[in-house]
Amino acid sequence: MNMMQDAKAAAMENALKISARGVDVFYGDTHAIKGVDVEIADKMVTAFIGPSGCGKSTFLRCLNRMNDTIDICRVTGQIQLDGEDIYEARVDPVQLRAKVGMVFQKPNPFPKSIYDNVAYGPRIHGLARDKAELDGIVEKSLRRAALWEEAKDRLNEPGTGLSGGQQQRLCIARAIATGPEVLLMDEPCSALDPIATAQVEQLIDELSSRFCVVIVTHSMAQASRVSQKTAFFHLGELVEFDDTDRIFTNPSDQRTESYITGRIG
Amino acid sequence: MTAAKSLLAADAHTRRRNAAEARFRAYGLAAVLVGIGALVLLLTTILGNGAGAFRQTYITIPVTLNADRLDPAGNRDPAEMAAVTTFGYAPMLAQALQQHLQVQGVAMDGIGPRDLMAIISQEAPAQTRAMVLANPDLLGQTLELEMLAGGRIDGYFKGRVTLETAERDANVSPAQLVLAQAMADAGMIETRFNWAFLTNPDASGQRPEAAGLGVAILGSLYMMLVVLVLALPIGVAAAIYLEEFAPKNRLTDVIEVNISNLAAVPSIVFGILGLAIFINFVGLPQSAPIVGGLVLTLMTLPTIIIATRAALGAVPPSIRSAALGLGASKMQSVFHHALPLAAPGILTGTIIGLAQALGETAPLLLIGMVAFVREFPAAPPEGLFDPTSALPVQVFNWTQRSDPAFVERAAGATIVLLVFLISMNLIAVLLRRRFERRW
Repeated sequence: MNMMQDAKAAAMENALKISARGVDVFYGDTHAIKGVDVEIADKMVTAFIGPSGCGKSTFLRCLNRMNDTIDICRVTGQIQLDGEDIYEARVDPVQLRAKVGMVFQKPNPFPKSIYDNVAYGPRIHGLARDKAELDGIVEKSLRRAALWEEAKDRLNEPGTGLSGGQQQRLCIARAIATGPEVLLMDEPCSALDPIATAQVEQLIDELSSRFCVVIVTHSMAQASRVSQKTAFFHLGELVEFDDTDRIFTNPSDQRTESYITGRIG
Repeated sequence: MTAAKSLLAADAHTRRRNAAEARFRAYGLAAVLVGIGALVLLLTTILGNGAGAFRQTYITIPVTLNADRLDPAGNRDPAEMAAVTTFGYAPMLAQALQQHLQVQGVAMDGIGPRDLMAIISQEAPAQTRAMVLANPDLLGQTLELEMLAGGRIDGYFKGRVTLETAERDANVSPAQLVLAQAMADAGMIETRFNWAFLTNPDASGQRPEAAGLGVAILGSLYMMLVVLVLALPIGVAAAIYLEEFAPKNRLTDVIEVNISNLAAVPSIVFGILGLAIFINFVGLPQSAPIVGGLVLTLMTLPTIIIATRAALGAVPPSIRSAALGLGASKMQSVFHHALPLAAPGILTGTIIGLAQALGETAPLLLIGMVAFVREFPAAPPEGLFDPTSALPVQVFNWTQRSDPAFVERAAGATIVLLVFLISMNLIAVLLRRRFERRW
């Protein structure tokens, strides 16, 4: 594992994918995120850690504008994806979300067949010209999500009939079927047992070779296992952002050290 | 220090708690039993009173259609034959009956010509006349005619009228009942299932045996059609907008509160509204199913809106997030995911709303649907503007008439109404099952 991380750390000159400048988020009068600057690189896993209520999920949801669906939420500052401001008036969040996929905390497959779950995104975005092409996308996505072998004989069975871990991998397959460039994962393993968690973590590691993956996690062990970069959030502020190895071995901020050693949070 | 308590003996506090629970269960069970008892009582009363309406007594005798009397001009022209009213037909039927009784050797002790006439329904001459006018070639022939028996004779064969009650009844004498029994023994009278109750229009107060629900069933059907076509799309669209798209502000709060209030407005108020707006202002005809349907639509809308909003609200937010996260637009997430999941709830709400509307009487009284209507309405859409009656109003109408045979008819109409309601609920349950299996 460490060898792999070193190899990836060596390739850290990855292209910059997302860059946030002075991002503030308000829920009504509550100042949830305070002046966050962060630069997220392509083709690697970036983890957001921090105690409950620190704003890490809120910040993640800014990256695909899911916060737009909350009436009282207001975002200021600048977030760029490939150099384009995603909060500019001309940007349609619908297009943005096809590019920036999301996997949620609790597996939430649609109450439809496995096939229809994966095919839904390509269908609404018109990615397939015919049935054969759609079949291809579904198979490729399920293979990338490491679910094809388990699901290929039951594509017409409801996605809700799968086990928790399989459901979460189905949700990942569904997210990558639209051909995104960024995958946001909001505590994707918190509802899974240890075996399913290990499978999903391995999957995340594989996905990072193709996508820019941003994962929010409660588990510091998970962050150290899957990520190359880690950001520590506390009380709405980005306290520290550095290579994962460094954060867990030699943090520069007192608060980070306190959290990692279990004194706060 | 208190002494150690044994688990084998319940202490005073536990005993009190258990006793309270046992009492509560007993109350609950008693409440359920009272409810079931009331329901059983209601159903047995209605079935006991109304079952008779589904059976009818008919007299079958050979009748010679006297051409000289029914077509004095002799040219078989229905327009001229119409000059002979039912008063021309009634004596002919009475004569035919008398002759047949003599041929069959049935004793007619103490029966005058007027008593004989009363055995046959007043509707029979009218029906015979309609038959002859429709087909003048029948004149001169001798046919086995099936005629309605009079209301009291019908009641005798259903057990509603007995020789004892006939003593005190100005409309029937025991001698007539004895004769009717003799006719039944001779095979001239039989009682069988009464399809006419479902297909005939209403009849006047003197002819309960001819009264049917045909016009009322059609009227109710037309109104339900109007309600379904208007209330379902408007209600569901309003609910989707309010639940999914409308901003949450003071204005939408006011709208929300008022929708809930509308659901509690007494139905007669909607009738006054309908009278003032649809009839007096817009100028739609009275007694028409279109007006009834519009008024019932107004009443049903809050029910459908509230049910649809509740059903949409019950769709887990995670499903919406999933769709939005994939880049579905707000509308796609509603129509592809939330609405199908809410469909069973919407369906149930709609059918409950329709069932309420079907049983509603008060607003219909105000818009003139209480009128006595014998003409069948045309097919929709023109028929929506023809005068009709409605099932609950027909029940109301019949309970006000003096002849006891109408009590039976009213209970029979109630049974028909209940059958409609139960089948609607059944359809709701079946459709809901199907939807839920698919999703």
